[in-house]
Amino acid sequence: MHNFNFIRPDNLEEACDLLVRYKDRAKLIAGGTDLIVDLREEKLANCLEIIIDISNLEELNHIKEEGKYIRIGSGVRHAEIAKNKLIKKYAQVLSMAASVVGSPQIRNRGTIVGNIVTASPAADTIPALIVLDSILVIRKGKEKRKMFLKDVFEGPNKVNLKSDEIVCEIYFEKLSLDAKSYFIKLARRNAVDKSRMNIAVVAQQNKSKEITDIRISVGSLTPIPGRFKDAEDLLLGEIPTQDLIQKAGKKIAEEMINKSGYRWSTEYKEPVVKSLIDRVLNRIVEVE
Amino acid sequence: MANKEIELNIKVNNKDYKLFVASNKRLLDVLRDDLGLTGVKEGCAIGECGACTVIMNGKNVCSCMILAGQAEGSEIITIEGLEGPKGELHPLQEAFIETGAVQCGFCTPGMILSSLVLLKNNPSPTEEEIKEAISGNFCRCTGYKQIIEAVQLAAEKMRRGGI
Repeated sequence: MHNFNFIRPDNLEEACDLLVRYKDRAKLIAGGTDLIVDLREEKLANCLEIIIDISNLEELNHIKEEGKYIRIGSGVRHAEIAKNKLIKKYAQVLSMAASVVGSPQIRNRGTIVGNIVTASPAADTIPALIVLDSILVIRKGKEKRKMFLKDVFEGPNKVNLKSDEIVCEIYFEKLSLDAKSYFIKLARRNAVDKSRMNIAVVAQQNKSKEITDIRISVGSLTPIPGRFKDAEDLLLGEIPTQDLIQKAGKKIAEEMINKSGYRWSTEYKEPVVKSLIDRVLNRIVEVE
Repeated sequence: MANKEIELNIKVNNKDYKLFVASNKRLLDVLRDDLGLTGVKEGCAIGECGACTVIMNGKNVCSCMILAGQAEGSEIITIEGLEGPKGELHPLQEAFIETGAVQCGFCTPGMILSSLVLLKNNPSPTEEEIKEAISGNFCRCTGYKQIIEAVQLAAEKMRRGGI
Protein backbone atom coordinates (compact mmCIF):
# COMPACT_ATOMS: atom_id res chain seq x y z
CA MET A 1 0.00 0.00 0.00
CA HIS A 2 1.20 3.50 -0.82
CA ASN A 3 1.90 5.78 2.13
CA PHE A 4 0.13 9.11 2.18
CA ASN A 5 -1.37 11.83 4.29
CA PHE A 6 -5.15 11.82 4.39
CA ILE A 7 -7.07 15.09 4.41
CA ARG A 8 -10.78 15.63 4.48
CA PRO A 9 -11.53 19.24 3.55
CA ASP A 10 -14.68 20.87 4.95
CA ASN A 11 -15.75 22.44 1.68
CA LEU A 12 -15.12 22.51 -2.05
CA GLU A 13 -13.02 25.66 -1.92
CA GLU A 14 -10.58 24.06 0.49
CA ALA A 15 -10.40 20.95 -1.72
CA CYS A 16 -9.67 23.13 -4.77
CA ASP A 17 -6.93 25.04 -2.92
CA LEU A 18 -5.28 21.80 -1.78
CA LEU A 19 -5.28 20.45 -5.34
CA VAL A 20 -3.73 23.64 -6.70
CA ARG A 21 -1.05 23.43 -4.00
CA TYR A 22 -0.18 19.74 -4.34
CA LYS A 23 -1.02 19.11 -8.06
CA ASP A 24 0.23 15.64 -9.10
CA ARG A 25 1.38 14.91 -5.54
CA ALA A 26 -2.31 14.70 -4.62
CA LYS A 27 -5.13 12.35 -5.55
CA LEU A 28 -8.81 12.92 -4.99
CA ILE A 29 -10.88 10.16 -3.49
CA ALA A 30 -14.67 10.00 -3.67
CA GLY A 31 -16.23 6.52 -3.97
CA GLY A 32 -12.75 5.00 -3.95
CA THR A 33 -13.88 1.82 -5.72
CA ASP A 34 -11.06 2.12 -8.28
CA LEU A 35 -8.53 4.25 -6.39
CA ILE A 36 -8.18 1.92 -3.39
CA VAL A 37 -7.32 -0.99 -5.68
CA ASP A 38 -4.60 1.15 -7.31
CA LEU A 39 -3.32 2.30 -3.91
CA ARG A 40 -2.97 -1.27 -2.71
CA GLU A 41 -1.27 -2.38 -5.91
CA GLU A 42 1.03 0.67 -5.63
CA LYS A 43 0.14 1.69 -9.16
CA LEU A 44 0.11 5.42 -8.48
CA ALA A 45 3.00 7.79 -9.01
CA ASN A 46 5.78 7.65 -6.43
CA CYS A 47 5.37 11.33 -5.76
CA LEU A 48 1.94 10.72 -4.16
CA GLU A 49 1.85 12.59 -0.85
CA ILE A 50 -1.72 13.27 -0.06
CA ILE A 51 -5.19 11.82 -0.56
CA ILE A 52 -7.96 14.42 -0.51
CA ASP A 53 -11.31 12.96 0.49
CA ILE A 54 -14.23 14.70 -1.21
CA SER A 55 -16.77 11.95 -0.48
CA ASN A 56 -18.62 13.95 2.15
CA LEU A 57 -18.79 17.36 0.44
CA GLU A 58 -22.38 18.60 0.39
CA GLU A 59 -21.58 20.93 -2.54
CA LEU A 60 -21.00 17.89 -4.77
CA ASN A 61 -24.08 15.99 -3.70
CA HIS A 62 -27.08 17.51 -5.50
CA ILE A 63 -29.49 16.38 -8.21
CA LYS A 64 -31.57 19.35 -9.32
CA GLU A 65 -33.79 20.62 -12.11
CA GLU A 66 -32.80 24.07 -13.34
CA GLY A 67 -34.77 25.40 -16.31
CA LYS A 68 -34.23 22.98 -19.16
CA TYR A 69 -31.32 21.24 -17.44
CA ILE A 70 -30.74 18.49 -14.89
CA ARG A 71 -27.61 19.19 -12.84
CA ILE A 72 -25.85 16.46 -10.88
CA GLY A 73 -23.07 17.00 -8.34
CA SER A 74 -19.95 15.00 -9.15
CA GLY A 75 -20.11 13.12 -5.85
CA VAL A 76 -23.60 11.68 -6.32
CA ARG A 77 -23.49 7.91 -5.98
CA HIS A 78 -24.87 5.45 -8.51
CA ALA A 79 -27.55 4.17 -6.12
CA GLU A 80 -28.92 7.74 -5.79
CA ILE A 81 -28.89 8.29 -9.56
CA ALA A 82 -30.68 4.97 -10.13
CA LYS A 83 -33.59 5.76 -7.84
CA ASN A 84 -33.91 9.53 -8.39
CA LYS A 85 -37.35 10.55 -9.71
CA LEU A 86 -36.11 13.51 -11.83
CA ILE A 87 -33.61 11.29 -13.60
CA LYS A 88 -36.20 8.55 -14.14
CA LYS A 89 -38.55 11.11 -15.67
CA TYR A 90 -36.15 13.12 -17.83
CA ALA A 91 -33.23 10.77 -18.48
CA GLN A 92 -34.39 7.19 -18.12
CA VAL A 93 -31.33 5.94 -20.00
CA LEU A 94 -29.07 7.21 -17.19
CA SER A 95 -31.26 5.73 -14.48
CA MET A 96 -31.10 2.35 -16.22
CA ALA A 97 -27.33 2.51 -16.68
CA ALA A 98 -26.65 3.53 -13.07
CA SER A 99 -28.81 0.69 -11.78
CA VAL A 100 -26.58 -2.00 -13.34
CA VAL A 101 -23.16 -0.67 -12.31
CA GLY A 102 -21.22 -3.25 -10.26
CA SER A 103 -23.23 -4.47 -7.29
CA PRO A 104 -25.42 -2.84 -4.61
CA GLN A 105 -22.30 -2.27 -2.49
CA ILE A 106 -20.44 -0.61 -5.38
CA ARG A 107 -23.47 1.52 -6.29
CA ASN A 108 -23.66 2.68 -2.67
CA ARG A 109 -20.12 4.10 -2.94
CA GLY A 110 -19.13 4.70 -6.57
CA THR A 111 -19.90 8.17 -7.92
CA ILE A 112 -21.08 9.45 -11.27
CA VAL A 113 -17.96 11.47 -12.03
CA GLY A 114 -15.67 8.80 -10.58
CA ASN A 115 -16.88 6.57 -13.36
CA ILE A 116 -16.02 9.27 -15.89
CA VAL A 117 -12.52 10.21 -14.71
CA THR A 118 -11.37 6.60 -14.55
CA ALA A 119 -12.57 6.39 -18.19
CA SER A 120 -12.99 2.66 -18.50
CA PRO A 121 -14.11 1.80 -22.05
CA ALA A 122 -16.61 -0.60 -20.42
CA ALA A 123 -18.12 1.97 -18.02
CA ASP A 124 -21.91 1.70 -17.98
CA THR A 125 -22.90 5.28 -17.27
CA ILE A 126 -20.64 6.88 -19.90
CA PRO A 127 -22.67 5.91 -23.03
CA ALA A 128 -25.83 7.07 -21.23
CA LEU A 129 -24.27 10.44 -20.36
CA ILE A 130 -22.90 10.71 -23.92
CA VAL A 131 -26.36 10.36 -25.52
CA LEU A 132 -27.59 13.03 -23.12
CA ASP A 133 -24.86 15.32 -24.57
CA SER A 134 -23.63 15.99 -21.03
CA ILE A 135 -21.39 18.87 -20.07
CA LEU A 136 -18.82 18.85 -17.25
CA VAL A 137 -18.18 21.80 -14.95
CA ILE A 138 -14.51 21.82 -13.98
CA ARG A 139 -12.83 23.93 -11.31
CA LYS A 140 -9.23 24.90 -10.80
CA GLY A 141 -8.88 27.03 -7.70
CA LYS A 142 -11.58 29.66 -8.20
CA GLU A 143 -11.64 29.40 -12.01
CA LYS A 144 -14.41 27.46 -13.68
CA ARG A 145 -14.59 25.97 -17.16
CA LYS A 146 -17.02 23.78 -19.05
CA MET A 147 -16.35 20.93 -21.40
CA PHE A 148 -18.51 18.49 -23.34
CA LEU A 149 -18.20 15.05 -21.78
CA LYS A 150 -17.29 13.56 -25.16
CA ASP A 151 -14.20 15.80 -25.33
CA VAL A 152 -12.77 14.73 -21.97
CA PHE A 153 -11.66 11.27 -23.12
CA GLU A 154 -8.17 10.85 -24.59
CA GLY A 155 -8.02 7.08 -24.73
CA PRO A 156 -8.79 4.01 -22.64
CA ASN A 157 -8.51 5.04 -18.95
CA LYS A 158 -7.20 8.49 -19.95
CA VAL A 159 -8.85 11.87 -19.60
CA ASN A 160 -7.51 15.30 -20.46
CA LEU A 161 -7.89 16.89 -17.06
CA LYS A 162 -5.01 18.57 -15.26
CA SER A 163 -3.88 17.33 -11.85
CA ASP A 164 -5.08 20.56 -10.22
CA GLU A 165 -8.56 20.37 -11.72
CA ILE A 166 -11.67 18.96 -10.11
CA VAL A 167 -14.92 18.09 -11.87
CA CYS A 168 -17.65 19.45 -9.65
CA GLU A 169 -20.80 18.96 -11.70
CA ILE A 170 -22.26 17.30 -14.77
CA TYR A 171 -25.39 18.58 -16.49
CA PHE A 172 -27.52 17.90 -19.52
CA GLU A 173 -30.77 19.02 -21.16
CA LYS A 174 -33.85 17.18 -19.96
CA LEU A 175 -35.18 14.81 -22.59
CA SER A 176 -38.56 15.74 -24.03
CA LEU A 177 -41.32 13.72 -22.39
CA ASP A 178 -42.13 12.42 -25.90
CA ALA A 179 -38.61 11.05 -26.32
CA LYS A 180 -37.79 7.49 -25.40
CA SER A 181 -34.46 6.28 -24.11
CA TYR A 182 -33.06 2.88 -23.25
CA PHE A 183 -29.92 1.13 -22.01
CA ILE A 184 -28.81 -2.49 -22.31
CA LYS A 185 -25.79 -4.04 -20.62
CA LEU A 186 -24.40 -7.23 -22.03
CA ALA A 187 -22.20 -9.21 -19.64
CA ARG A 188 -21.42 -12.81 -18.82
CA ARG A 189 -23.38 -12.65 -15.59
CA ASN A 190 -26.04 -10.27 -14.30
CA ALA A 191 -24.20 -8.74 -11.35
CA VAL A 192 -20.64 -7.64 -10.55
CA ASP A 193 -19.40 -7.96 -14.09
CA LYS A 194 -17.82 -5.65 -16.59
CA SER A 195 -19.89 -5.00 -19.66
CA ARG A 196 -18.87 -6.96 -22.73
CA MET A 197 -20.76 -4.27 -24.51
CA ASN A 198 -23.44 -1.77 -23.60
CA ILE A 199 -25.69 0.48 -25.60
CA ALA A 200 -27.51 3.72 -24.84
CA VAL A 201 -30.07 5.21 -27.21
CA VAL A 202 -32.35 8.25 -27.23
CA ALA A 203 -35.05 8.39 -29.90
CA GLN A 204 -38.00 10.58 -30.70
CA GLN A 205 -40.59 10.35 -33.49
CA ASN A 206 -43.19 12.81 -34.73
CA LYS A 207 -46.82 12.00 -35.47
CA SER A 208 -45.98 10.63 -38.91
CA LYS A 209 -43.40 8.35 -37.22
CA GLU A 210 -40.42 10.18 -38.71
CA ILE A 211 -37.43 10.09 -36.40
CA THR A 212 -36.80 13.65 -35.21
CA ASP A 213 -34.05 12.91 -32.69
CA ILE A 214 -31.73 9.93 -32.52
CA ARG A 215 -28.58 9.51 -30.43
CA ILE A 216 -26.64 6.27 -30.19
CA SER A 217 -23.59 5.39 -28.10
CA VAL A 218 -22.13 1.93 -27.65
CA GLY A 219 -19.61 1.14 -24.93
CA SER A 220 -16.59 -1.19 -25.28
CA LEU A 221 -16.47 -0.78 -29.08
CA THR A 222 -14.13 2.13 -29.56
CA PRO A 223 -11.08 3.45 -27.66
CA ILE A 224 -12.87 6.76 -27.00
CA PRO A 225 -16.59 6.86 -26.22
CA GLY A 226 -18.80 8.85 -28.53
CA ARG A 227 -21.96 8.91 -30.62
CA PHE A 228 -22.27 6.90 -33.81
CA LYS A 229 -23.07 9.73 -36.21
CA ASP A 230 -23.19 7.72 -39.46
CA ALA A 231 -25.88 5.44 -38.08
CA GLU A 232 -27.72 8.41 -36.56
CA ASP A 233 -27.68 10.27 -39.91
CA LEU A 234 -29.08 7.23 -41.64
CA LEU A 235 -32.05 7.09 -39.27
CA LEU A 236 -32.73 10.81 -38.79
CA GLY A 237 -35.79 12.10 -40.67
CA GLU A 238 -36.77 8.59 -41.77
CA ILE A 239 -39.73 6.41 -40.89
CA PRO A 240 -37.96 3.38 -39.47
CA THR A 241 -38.34 -0.02 -41.13
CA GLN A 242 -36.69 -3.31 -40.13
CA ASP A 243 -34.49 -2.93 -43.20
CA LEU A 244 -33.33 0.52 -42.09
CA ILE A 245 -32.56 -0.76 -38.58
CA GLN A 246 -30.40 -3.52 -40.10
CA LYS A 247 -28.55 -0.90 -42.14
CA ALA A 248 -27.98 1.23 -39.03
CA GLY A 249 -26.49 -1.79 -37.25
CA LYS A 250 -24.18 -2.34 -40.22
CA LYS A 251 -23.06 1.31 -40.11
CA ILE A 252 -22.15 1.01 -36.41
CA ALA A 253 -20.16 -2.16 -37.05
CA GLU A 254 -18.30 -0.38 -39.89
CA GLU A 255 -17.56 2.62 -37.69
CA MET A 256 -16.27 0.29 -34.94
CA ILE A 257 -13.83 -1.35 -37.39
CA ASN A 258 -12.75 2.03 -38.75
CA LYS A 259 -11.94 3.34 -35.28
CA SER A 260 -10.63 0.22 -33.53
CA GLY A 261 -9.25 -1.81 -36.44
CA TYR A 262 -10.13 -5.45 -37.09
CA ARG A 263 -9.32 -7.03 -33.72
CA TRP A 264 -9.53 -10.55 -32.28
CA SER A 265 -12.91 -9.65 -30.76
CA THR A 266 -14.40 -8.16 -33.93
CA GLU A 267 -15.86 -11.46 -35.09
CA TYR A 268 -17.90 -11.52 -31.87
CA LYS A 269 -18.65 -7.83 -31.59
CA GLU A 270 -19.86 -7.25 -35.15
CA PRO A 271 -22.97 -9.50 -35.04
CA VAL A 272 -23.61 -8.64 -31.40
CA VAL A 273 -23.71 -4.88 -31.89
CA LYS A 274 -26.07 -5.35 -34.86
CA SER A 275 -28.34 -7.45 -32.69
CA LEU A 276 -28.23 -4.96 -29.79
CA ILE A 277 -29.19 -1.99 -31.95
CA ASP A 278 -32.00 -4.08 -33.43
CA ARG A 279 -33.23 -4.97 -29.94
CA VAL A 280 -33.11 -1.41 -28.58
CA LEU A 281 -34.69 0.30 -31.57
CA ASN A 282 -37.48 -2.24 -31.80
CA ARG A 283 -38.21 -1.54 -28.17
CA ILE A 284 -38.34 2.25 -28.29
CA VAL A 285 -39.36 3.28 -31.82
CA GLU A 286 -42.49 2.52 -33.79
CA VAL A 287 -41.38 0.57 -36.83
CA GLU A 288 -43.30 0.67 -40.10
CA MET B 1 7.74 9.14 3.72
CA ALA B 2 6.52 8.02 7.09
CA ASN B 3 2.94 7.04 7.28
CA LYS B 4 0.82 9.56 9.07
CA GLU B 5 -1.69 8.66 11.71
CA ILE B 6 -5.18 10.06 11.64
CA GLU B 7 -7.74 10.45 14.35
CA LEU B 8 -10.89 8.48 13.67
CA ASN B 9 -14.18 8.88 15.49
CA ILE B 10 -16.67 6.19 14.62
CA LYS B 11 -19.64 4.43 16.13
CA VAL B 12 -19.42 0.69 15.67
CA ASN B 13 -22.23 -1.60 16.80
CA ASN B 14 -23.66 1.26 18.86
CA LYS B 15 -20.43 2.01 20.70
CA ASP B 16 -18.42 5.20 20.16
CA TYR B 17 -14.69 4.90 19.47
CA LYS B 18 -11.88 7.42 19.17
CA LEU B 19 -8.98 5.72 17.43
CA PHE B 20 -5.60 6.70 16.03
CA VAL B 21 -4.85 4.66 12.93
CA ALA B 22 -2.46 4.72 9.97
CA SER B 23 -3.89 6.87 7.18
CA ASN B 24 -3.55 4.09 4.62
CA LYS B 25 -5.66 1.59 6.54
CA ARG B 26 -8.98 0.60 5.11
CA LEU B 27 -12.16 0.47 7.18
CA LEU B 28 -11.82 -3.32 6.90
CA ASP B 29 -8.39 -3.23 8.60
CA VAL B 30 -9.64 -0.95 11.38
CA LEU B 31 -12.60 -3.21 12.14
CA ARG B 32 -10.58 -6.41 12.13
CA ASP B 33 -7.20 -5.34 13.54
CA ASP B 34 -8.01 -2.41 15.81
CA LEU B 35 -11.44 -3.49 17.04
CA GLY B 36 -11.06 -7.28 16.74
CA LEU B 37 -14.29 -7.65 14.78
CA THR B 38 -13.19 -10.65 12.75
CA GLY B 39 -16.72 -11.37 11.55
CA VAL B 40 -15.80 -8.89 8.82
CA LYS B 41 -14.00 -11.05 6.25
CA GLU B 42 -11.42 -10.12 3.67
CA GLY B 43 -12.03 -11.97 0.42
CA CYS B 44 -11.05 -10.47 -2.91
CA ALA B 45 -10.06 -7.01 -1.55
CA ILE B 46 -11.19 -5.42 -4.84
CA GLY B 47 -14.87 -4.88 -4.09
CA GLU B 48 -16.24 -7.86 -5.95
CA CYS B 49 -16.98 -10.65 -3.46
CA GLY B 50 -18.83 -8.80 -0.68
CA ALA B 51 -17.27 -10.84 2.18
CA CYS B 52 -16.18 -7.57 3.82
CA THR B 53 -19.69 -6.07 3.70
CA VAL B 54 -20.69 -3.87 6.63
CA ILE B 55 -23.58 -1.47 7.08
CA MET B 56 -22.40 2.14 7.01
CA ASN B 57 -25.00 4.82 7.76
CA GLY B 58 -27.76 2.39 6.79
CA LYS B 59 -26.21 1.20 3.52
CA ASN B 60 -24.35 -1.99 2.74
CA VAL B 61 -20.83 -1.23 1.54
CA CYS B 62 -17.57 -3.11 0.99
CA SER B 63 -15.29 -2.16 3.87
CA CYS B 64 -12.27 -2.98 1.66
CA MET B 65 -13.23 -0.05 -0.60
CA ILE B 66 -13.27 2.65 2.07
CA LEU B 67 -10.23 4.35 3.57
CA ALA B 68 -10.37 4.57 7.35
CA GLY B 69 -10.56 8.37 7.26
CA GLN B 70 -13.58 8.26 4.98
CA ALA B 71 -15.53 6.57 7.77
CA GLU B 72 -15.06 9.55 10.12
CA GLY B 73 -18.30 10.29 11.96
CA SER B 74 -20.14 7.33 10.50
CA GLU B 75 -22.20 4.58 12.11
CA ILE B 76 -21.09 1.07 11.30
CA ILE B 77 -22.84 -2.22 11.96
CA THR B 78 -20.96 -5.50 11.61
CA ILE B 79 -22.28 -9.03 12.10
CA GLU B 80 -21.21 -8.79 15.76
CA GLY B 81 -23.70 -5.94 16.21
CA LEU B 82 -26.71 -8.15 15.47
CA GLU B 83 -26.50 -9.95 18.79
CA GLY B 84 -29.43 -9.22 21.13
CA PRO B 85 -29.00 -7.84 24.68
CA LYS B 86 -28.93 -11.33 26.19
CA GLY B 87 -26.68 -12.76 23.52
CA GLU B 88 -29.59 -14.08 21.46
CA LEU B 89 -29.28 -14.50 17.71
CA HIS B 90 -30.94 -12.15 15.24
CA PRO B 91 -33.87 -13.67 13.29
CA LEU B 92 -31.69 -13.60 10.15
CA GLN B 93 -28.99 -15.60 11.94
CA GLU B 94 -31.58 -18.07 13.24
CA ALA B 95 -33.06 -18.44 9.77
CA PHE B 96 -29.64 -19.06 8.18
CA ILE B 97 -29.06 -21.90 10.66
CA GLU B 98 -32.55 -23.36 10.32
CA THR B 99 -32.47 -23.51 6.52
CA GLY B 100 -28.90 -24.80 6.27
CA ALA B 101 -27.76 -21.61 4.54
CA VAL B 102 -24.31 -21.69 6.14
CA GLN B 103 -21.76 -23.94 4.46
CA CYS B 104 -18.15 -22.81 4.89
CA GLY B 105 -19.50 -19.62 6.48
CA PHE B 106 -17.09 -17.16 4.91
CA CYS B 107 -19.77 -15.26 2.97
CA THR B 108 -22.37 -15.50 5.75
CA PRO B 109 -21.70 -12.23 7.66
CA GLY B 110 -21.84 -10.21 4.43
CA MET B 111 -24.89 -12.10 3.17
CA ILE B 112 -26.74 -11.44 6.42
CA LEU B 113 -25.86 -7.74 6.48
CA SER B 114 -26.94 -7.20 2.85
CA SER B 115 -30.15 -9.07 3.67
CA LEU B 116 -30.71 -6.93 6.76
CA VAL B 117 -30.51 -3.73 4.70
CA LEU B 118 -33.04 -5.24 2.30
CA LEU B 119 -35.48 -6.29 5.03
CA LYS B 120 -35.28 -2.92 6.78
CA ASN B 121 -36.36 -1.20 3.55
CA ASN B 122 -38.63 -3.93 2.24
CA PRO B 123 -40.14 -6.30 4.85
CA SER B 124 -41.77 -8.58 2.22
CA PRO B 125 -39.31 -8.93 -0.66
CA THR B 126 -39.92 -11.13 -3.69
CA GLU B 127 -37.40 -13.80 -4.65
CA GLU B 128 -36.08 -11.50 -7.40
CA GLU B 129 -35.63 -8.64 -4.93
CA ILE B 130 -33.69 -10.95 -2.59
CA LYS B 131 -31.44 -12.07 -5.46
CA GLU B 132 -30.80 -8.44 -6.42
CA ALA B 133 -30.06 -7.46 -2.80
CA ILE B 134 -27.43 -10.19 -2.36
CA SER B 135 -26.02 -9.89 -5.88
CA GLY B 136 -22.87 -8.26 -4.50
CA ASN B 137 -22.20 -11.15 -2.10
CA PHE B 138 -20.59 -14.27 -3.54
CA CYS B 139 -21.10 -17.70 -1.99
CA ARG B 140 -18.40 -19.89 -3.51
CA CYS B 141 -19.98 -22.98 -1.89
CA THR B 142 -22.85 -21.89 -4.22
CA GLY B 143 -25.55 -22.51 -1.64
CA TYR B 144 -27.69 -19.67 -2.93
CA LYS B 145 -31.00 -21.55 -2.81
CA GLN B 146 -30.83 -22.04 0.96
CA ILE B 147 -29.66 -18.45 1.45
CA ILE B 148 -32.72 -17.14 -0.41
CA GLU B 149 -34.94 -19.45 1.69
CA ALA B 150 -33.25 -18.13 4.82
CA VAL B 151 -34.00 -14.51 3.88
CA GLN B 152 -37.63 -15.43 3.17
CA LEU B 153 -37.90 -17.19 6.53
CA ALA B 154 -36.24 -14.27 8.34
CA ALA B 155 -38.62 -11.83 6.65
CA GLU B 156 -41.51 -13.84 8.06
CA LYS B 157 -39.97 -14.00 11.54
CA MET B 158 -39.24 -10.27 11.53
CA ARG B 159 -42.75 -9.36 10.36
CA ARG B 160 -44.18 -11.51 13.15
CA GLY B 161 -41.72 -10.24 15.74
CA GLY B 162 -41.98 -6.61 14.65
CA ILE B 163 -38.20 -6.20 14.51
